[in-house]
This record gives sequence, C-alpha cells and structure tokens, in this order.
Amino acid sequence: MKNLKSFLTVVGLTIALGASAQSQESMRINEYLIINTNDFQDDFGQQSSWFELFNSSYGTVDLSGCFITDDPDNLKKYRIPSGDIATKIKPRQHVLFWADNQPFRGTFHVNFDLENAKEIILLKGDGKTIIDRIPVRHDLPANVSFGRTADGEGSIDGSFKGWDILKSTSPSTNNLLVNKAGKAEAMQEMDPYGWIMAVTSMSVVFLALIILYLIFKNIGKANVKAANKKSSATKASSDSSAGQQCYSEVPAETYAAIATALHLFIEDNEAHDEESDVVTQRHTDRTYSPWSSKIYTLRQTPQVNKRN
Amino acid sequence: MENIITNLKQFWGYTGFANFELNYLIMIVIGCVFIYLAIKKDWEPMLLVPIGFGILIGNIPLFAGLNVGVYEEGSVLNILYQGVKQGFYPPLIFLGIGAMTDFSALIANPKLFLIGAAAQFGIFGAYAVSLALGFDPAQAGAIGIIGGADGPTAIFLSSRLAPNLMGAIAVSAYSYMALVPVIQPPIMRLLTTKKERLIRMKPPRAVSPTEKRLFPVIGFLLTAFIVPSGIPLLGMLFFGNLLKESGVTRRLANTASGPLIDIVTILIGVTVGASTQASEFLRVESVKIFIIGAFSFFLATFAGVFFVKILNLFLKEGNKINPLIGNAGVSAVPDAARVSNNVGLEYDPKNYLLMHAMGPNVAGVIGSAVAAGMLLGFLG
Repeated sequence: MKNLKSFLTVVGLTIALGASAQSQESMRINEYLIINTNDFQDDFGQQSSWFELFNSSYGTVDLSGCFITDDPDNLKKYRIPSGDIATKIKPRQHVLFWADNQPFRGTFHVNFDLENAKEIILLKGDGKTIIDRIPVRHDLPANVSFGRTADGEGSIDGSFKGWDILKSTSPSTNNLLVNKAGKAEAMQEMDPYGWIMAVTSMSVVFLALIILYLIFKNIGKANVKAANKKSSATKASSDSSAGQQCYSEVPAETYAAIATALHLFIEDNEAHDEESDVVTQRHTDRTYSPWSSKIYTLRQTPQVNKRN
Repeated sequence: MENIITNLKQFWGYTGFANFELNYLIMIVIGCVFIYLAIKKDWEPMLLVPIGFGILIGNIPLFAGLNVGVYEEGSVLNILYQGVKQGFYPPLIFLGIGAMTDFSALIANPKLFLIGAAAQFGIFGAYAVSLALGFDPAQAGAIGIIGGADGPTAIFLSSRLAPNLMGAIAVSAYSYMALVPVIQPPIMRLLTTKKERLIRMKPPRAVSPTEKRLFPVIGFLLTAFIVPSGIPLLGMLFFGNLLKESGVTRRLANTASGPLIDIVTILIGVTVGASTQASEFLRVESVKIFIIGAFSFFLATFAGVFFVKILNLFLKEGNKINPLIGNAGVSAVPDAARVSNNVGLEYDPKNYLLMHAMGPNVAGVIGSAVAAGMLLGFLG
C-alpha cells in the first residue's frame, strides 16, 4: 500500500512537472535593448539594458524556477525566484527583465548586464534544457532594440531568423505595429458589402457537408452490401436447418389474437401480480432505424417453432 | 411619527413604482406577450415561457446599487448570466441536442446534407444587409446568425462578436424560431407547384448501429478540421450524439438529453430574458435587428426550397425530393420539419414528410454551427 502511494505520488509529480515544463517551453525571448540612455526606466528611475520574454501560448505560464543566463558555460546563472505571483505570465503577454546586474532589486532584475553578455539563454527549471537563446548584438546603437518582428515567432536556436532591428522599442508590448487593424476592421475594408464573406463561407459550409455526403453515401453503400450478403447467408443456413422450421409469415391477425388472449388471461387472473422472481436478460441486435421501422414501438415478433 | 413618515418616504424611493419609466412598461408588455404566445398558442413554450418571465425579471425598475440586476457584477442574476456572457450555456445545450437527435434520416439519405448547407444563405444574406444598414462586420456577423434559426448558436456567436447586441439577437432568434409555423408556409407554397408538393419520397433505408456510431466521430473530425473555431458547438453536438449512439453510455446520454438540457434551457431562457433591460434593449438597433432577423428567415426558407427544386433537375424520377422539405434546412429542430410535414399533408393526407424533413433539419444544425465557426474565424 505504501509502495503504491509512493508510486502514485511520483507519477503525479512527474506528470505535474512535465505539464509545467511543457508550458514553460512556450516562453520566448522577444526583444532586447543593450544601451539604454533615453529609453524605458525601471521602478527605481534607472535606465538599464533590458530584455523581454513573451508567452506565445494561450495558457498562463509560470516562469518561477526557470534559469536565465548570459553565459553558455554557466547555465544556472540567474534562477527566477519562486513565490512571486508576477512570474505567472498570462497568455500572449510579455514580461520585462532588467539586465542591470542588481538582482537584489527584485525578481525581474537579473545578475548580469547585456553590455558584456555573449547571448541571452532561457532554460527550463532543470537548468539544462534550453528553451530559447539569442546572441547579443553589440553593434546596436543606443536606444535601439533588436527583437522578433512578430511576437513569439522565429528561431529558438540562436539564429536570427524572424529577428530584426525594430523601428521603435516596445518593452512589455507587442513588437508588431500596435495599431494594426482587427480582423473585423480588416474585413470591412476588404469586403464592405459582405459578398466575399458570403461566397467564401457558403463555399466552406457546402464543402464540409458535401464531404460528409460523399463519405456517408459510400459508407451506406458498403453497409447495404454487407447486410445483403449477411441476410442471404442467414437465409441459406436457415433453409438447410432440419431441426427447426421458422414460420415468419404468420398472419398479423394471429399475433393480435394471441396478444388479446394473453391480455385477457392476465387481466382475469390478475396474473401480473404474481411474478416469477426470475429475471432474464437477452441481447437483441436492433439493426433497424426508428425512422424506417416501427419495430421499436412493437413487441418482438413471436416465432412459432415446430419441435420434432 | 415624523420618523415613520420619513422612513416610508425613503422606502417609497426604493420601490419599482418610484423608479418607473414607460420603457419598463413596454418591456413588461413584451414579456407578457411572450408568455401568452407560449401558453395560449403553444409557440415554443419551453423557450418563450423562461424568456418571457426573464423579461419581467429584468424590467422591474431598480435603483442603482441594490446589486440584484443582471448587469450588476456579483449579483445572483449576473452570476447566472455568465453562462450566456461567457458562452458556456450554448455548447451544453448542443450536448443535449446531440444526445437527443437521431441522425438516421440524414445518414440514410446523405443528399439531404446539401439542403442543410443551402439554407445557410439566410445567415450570409442577413450579414450583407446588416452591413448595408450600418452595423460593423462583427455586429453584422452576430446578427446574421439569426438566419441559422438556432438560438444557442446565436447566443454563442453574439457573446463573442457583439455582446452589447446579444439580448436583441437572442430574443429575435427565439421569436422567429417560435414563428416558423407562420413564416415558412407561405414561402413554401409560393415557390412550389402542386405537382411538386405531391412528390412522394422513397422511405429511407435502415441505418445500422455502426453507421450511427461512425457519424459523430467522422462528422466531428471533418467539420472541426475545416472550421476549428466551431469546436465548442460541433464538439458538444457530436459528443452528445456519440453518447446516444454508442449504446454503452445510456445514463450519460439520458442526463445530457434530459435533466442537463432542461436546467441549461431554464437558465439560458431566464437570463437572456433578464438581459433585455429596457435601457439596453429599447433602441433603434433592436428594431433593425428584428427586421433583419425576419429577412434572414425568409431568405433561409427561400434558399432551402429553391435549392431542392434545382437539385430535382438532376435527380431521376423516383429519386426526386419533395421541395416542401427545403424549409427544414434551417436548424429550428424539429419545428421546421413539422412545418414541412403539415404543409405536405394539406395537399396529400397520406404523404408524411416528417422523417424526410428531419434530414435537412439536423443537417441545418451542423451547417449553422459550421457557419458560426466561419464568422468567428473571420471576425472574432
């Protein structure tokens, strides 16, 4: 029992850690600025180099326990402290770190600065798995930032794919043009009368339902074929059976007469109250549809078996 | 004595009478009309009674700060309203609809899928008209979905695209759904000849349990891959249907199609009704929405019936479809199918179209969910 509990705890922790680690993998180094003389100020009124992380996922990511470093030979240089609620980054949101080498100023002040850094590396809580890395470009002019042209998109292997010098710095906000028109506004511009939307959407609705039509047409055909095959096989086997003869063509009046007689018998003798106390269960394979058959609402067709 | 009089005067200030305005009276009358139509005329009573009474609840004149109104954060009504606002009631309703819908008619005659698609013209026609009347695209999308004749879908989409118009859109959608027996027959008669109305369709073949079980799985995978934004509605619809058809989850299917859908219907009806506070509801936009809603129902019915007539040009004699089931392409289940049946019986008392009409009717549910997904994808 003890072993089982330990096992379950270990499994639970592994799953929880795995899930947490997996979401941390959505974090991206998104933008950095090295020489800050006339840009963003921290809460202490100081201008230092900074870098921004971006949660590219649609779930909240807890950064606590992750490592950030500027030195590939010292991957555990700065551990993001646990217990700070501000390390929980909401979906598609940014977080800004000050690279001022003054970690005592709070969670978001790291113990290195970018002026002497080779690259910025973000690691998972194990201190080994690299989530994202980007070399630090020392050729950038003062107050000019280098970042992903679209938030969270581009390389994570240290190449500059998807990165560029940004027209203006955007700490803690989108790197893409902020006043980009929303989907609805873009649609209004492109399609002021709604005809493009109507044609596109109707085509998709038709496409989806035509594919369903084709699929179920063929499934239906195959099914009917299989059913016909099965029924002819059953017929052949019942014809050859010598022990039992099935009279399926019993007139409906006979059923009605039997049912009435049984009903009257039960009514007269109040037989319903005398139960046999025996419950039986029998599997019935209902292959008919209630749309095409009344079988669901009727009693099962009685069969007359002739004993030898 | 003076204190008592002051107290009574203060109390008078708290009452609905002291805060009364004509707008509230208009809304209360509308609520009473809904209740009357439901009880006396039997028009969608399951919806109109909760909505009608919800309108009464939402239109008692209140003074600010009492924290009981549907729009006052933290009030009981506001908490219940979150299911509408956040859009989680509609998928639960779809779960119930899936669990109570038999897709056999559609599986037996898959051609009927196409009628369900054609009737969605109502949505996009209404979208274009809404744009022309000055609504922005997101609002136009939310209004257009009224043409799908599907209350939960209308609420789901308007909560995403135009929350400020949700009350008017929901009430309009449910009102026209209740009016399906009034709106559709004249259009059906207008578009069909007597000969067409007498067409007798072949009885549908028997559908095997395997086909019924495959339907929700294949249906979901296909539609969700094409329109992922429709997953909440499509997922719950097909999941509910799988519960029904799997044969091994009868208890779950019974809960989804019984107590669960009943509870959610009560909550959605009352809170949507309560959300139609006079100050939010009695606006020019609401009148426009009602006009566009009527137009979308006309257009959807027209498109469905007309599409069947075109389809018949390509079908052999004996396989032709009675155009009277074209109206059922809107997803007002099962009212639209019932209308097809009743109009059909007027011309041939032995021509029961109900089971044939259920095909396009349930295809319409899928079609409107796909259309909602498209609008959400483009405009959300």
